[in-house]
Amino acid sequence: MTVFDLALRSLRHRTGGFVASFLSMFLGAIVIMSFAAMFDTAGGAGVDAVSEETLITMASVVGGWGLVIVLFAVISTMTLSVRQRAGEMALLKSVGATPFQVGRMIVGETLVVAVAASLLALPLAAGGGWFLLEMLQETGQVADGVGYAFGSAALSIGIGVTLLASVGGAAVAARRAVRMRATEAMTAASIETGRMSRKRVIAAIVFLAAGLNCGILTATLFDGKGIDAMQTAGQASIWFSIGLALLGPVLVRPVTAALAGPLRLVGGAGGYLAVENVRRRTQQMAGALMPIILFTGIATGTLYMQSIENGAPPAAGSSIPPDEAQAIETLNFVVVGMLSVFAAIMVINTLVAATTYRRREFGQQRLVGSTPPQVLGMVGMEGVVLAAAGVLFGSIGSIVTVFPYSLARTGELLPDTTLAIYLGIVSVAATLTLASCLGAARKAIRVPAVQAVAV
Amino acid sequence: MAGQDITRAGEALRLVQVSKTYGSGDHPVRALDDVSVSLAAGTFTAIMGPSGSGKSTFLQCAAGLDQPTEGRVFIDGAELTGGSETKVTKFRRQRIGFIFQQFNLLPTLTVLQNVTLPLRLAGKKADRKRAIEILGRVGLRERIDHRPAELSGGQQQRVAIARALVTNPSVIFADEPTGALDSRSARNVLALLAEAVHEFGQTVVMVTHDPVAASYADSVIFLADGRLAGSLDRPTAEAVAERMTHLGDQVAPYAAVGE
Ligand SMILES: Nc1ncnc2c1ncn2[C@@H]1O[C@H](COP(=O)(O)OP(=O)(O)OP(=O)(O)O)[C@@H](O)[C@H]1O
Ligand SMILES: [Mg+2]
Repeated sequence: MTVFDLALRSLRHRTGGFVASFLSMFLGAIVIMSFAAMFDTAGGAGVDAVSEETLITMASVVGGWGLVIVLFAVISTMTLSVRQRAGEMALLKSVGATPFQVGRMIVGETLVVAVAASLLALPLAAGGGWFLLEMLQETGQVADGVGYAFGSAALSIGIGVTLLASVGGAAVAARRAVRMRATEAMTAASIETGRMSRKRVIAAIVFLAAGLNCGILTATLFDGKGIDAMQTAGQASIWFSIGLALLGPVLVRPVTAALAGPLRLVGGAGGYLAVENVRRRTQQMAGALMPIILFTGIATGTLYMQSIENGAPPAAGSSIPPDEAQAIETLNFVVVGMLSVFAAIMVINTLVAATTYRRREFGQQRLVGSTPPQVLGMVGMEGVVLAAAGVLFGSIGSIVTVFPYSLARTGELLPDTTLAIYLGIVSVAATLTLASCLGAARKAIRVPAVQAVAV
Repeated sequence: MAGQDITRAGEALRLVQVSKTYGSGDHPVRALDDVSVSLAAGTFTAIMGPSGSGKSTFLQCAAGLDQPTEGRVFIDGAELTGGSETKVTKFRRQRIGFIFQQFNLLPTLTVLQNVTLPLRLAGKKADRKRAIEILGRVGLRERIDHRPAELSGGQQQRVAIARALVTNPSVIFADEPTGALDSRSARNVLALLAEAVHEFGQTVVMVTHDPVAASYADSVIFLADGRLAGSLDRPTAEAVAERMTHLGDQVAPYAAVGE
């Protein structure tokens, strides 16, 4: 039996484990292809210069951000699913599979999933691109006569990027899994050190610095330049949030420490277990924390930036005419809408996958004497820690956009806008987190405990 | 205190016409078929039988880990069957300890935390002193801060025994507790179970495939094809082995037909 057979078999037997990766590739492919279709559309006959420029900006700016997020999403779901299978990898290695074979199996599995995801995404992406063009024409940003095209650019960029991001993500995840020695991997399946790799720390610092840099540029270089400041302000919270998300394992600790006392007091045995779990599983927690931070940070940053803009006086120094400002507003909402939907699905995916994977652990707890409400209580309190940490650091991530932009546009550090948007974002983040954890846990404990432990 | 002595002086476990059928489709499996058993408190009983004869099912139904399809189960005279999972769990953690072949320790908790967990879950004080004393009894006083993954199989099983003992249950069930251990660790585990019976008056019901392990028990109950197939008092390893070979004859009549 070749390694590829093994990959196919494993795909067939654990379809559930690939749902998260599949969904992020699938959605990613739809987003990237829809926007890449704007390149095809711009290249059509009889497209005027203004329409062409709008289309190309749309495709490169939004599509570019889509690419970053998809890459991120795929890497994080793949890392999660590979880590969940550390035991299986260890078993394969202990029966003689070489690290190369194990790595090839993981990459092979991912490739199969990615091809399926991009092909299935095709019809939806074609529709998505058409909808995008409709919207641009309706808001008068692209001439009505421009005909829709979905062609070589959409296909090559869409499928190419999805496959590359997936295989890249799998390779990163696989490298980590196979570098462990067999016996080491066996123990790592049950305990983890909670330390972060140096590369991860460096990457986090680079992202944080980029975000901070954008924030500083916004407040200094673009002060008094009006809406031009969005060029740097918009990116600031994205970079900074990614940096914070990468630091997840470190960030989750102080939040746990702060909440440990109250949780134990209110939560009884469930609270006690929740605190122990979060402490000992910082890596897994960090995986779930990532999309919550990104969602909160990017949505808060971008929506407040637009809200500040809408309330600010027109600036003399702006190079952008007022009618183009409306196009930028559309662009902002499209970006936020896209990223939010993506992040929301990531939150659900990651948490459902991580919680479902704990079926055996829940079974063990029930055998020791946890009642179903106690298991759910524990999961709920872990969700509270996650939501609190995610919202806290997401909010910090948004600051590098909101404060500098407010300073640049109004001269005040604190924006004079409604708090309702923020409260809305926080409630969505908290609800998504808790509902995903609890929903998956409820389903996981429907299986009799003895059977849950046996598999 | 006196009350506890009285219940322990009587009957610890009673199964009344218990049956268990798995699956309801075209091929339901009747894993337990009309089994009635009564065990006195303070006894050590081994359950034996061929693979697939329903031993684990028997133990799980008796311990409230699974609901029988028909019949009733009593522990210390109180009925265990018929409640919701929450109700059965609360009952279980007061009176029943369970030891698994695969230990089932929680990997994120230390040895001591694993042992005190049943107390915490029951909303009691996590009695550190008692837990450490019991860990001392199973010879692991020095390892209380280790995680399960850092212990050998035999040591993990001793942690599991300490965890089962910590709530002072009246009945302890063990499903092949020595199945994953070498013979030295196995003897150690069996001695601990025997001690629970003879020194602390608890009742132990243990499934095993090993005639030597069964010889630690006061009596052996045999199962075949989900039904009771006799018993043996004050078993020796030789007598048990002898009975097991005949049990094989009984449940495999096709071999005779084919001759
Ligand atoms: N969850 C289940 N679903 C369907 N059938 C089951 C299930 N659990 C057990 N069985 C069946 O019930 C019968 C009894 O199983 P049980 O596990 O009780 O046997 P056992 O005596 O413990 O065997 P072993 O010595 O191999 O552990 C077997 O035929 C088994 O296939
Ligand atoms: Mg069994």
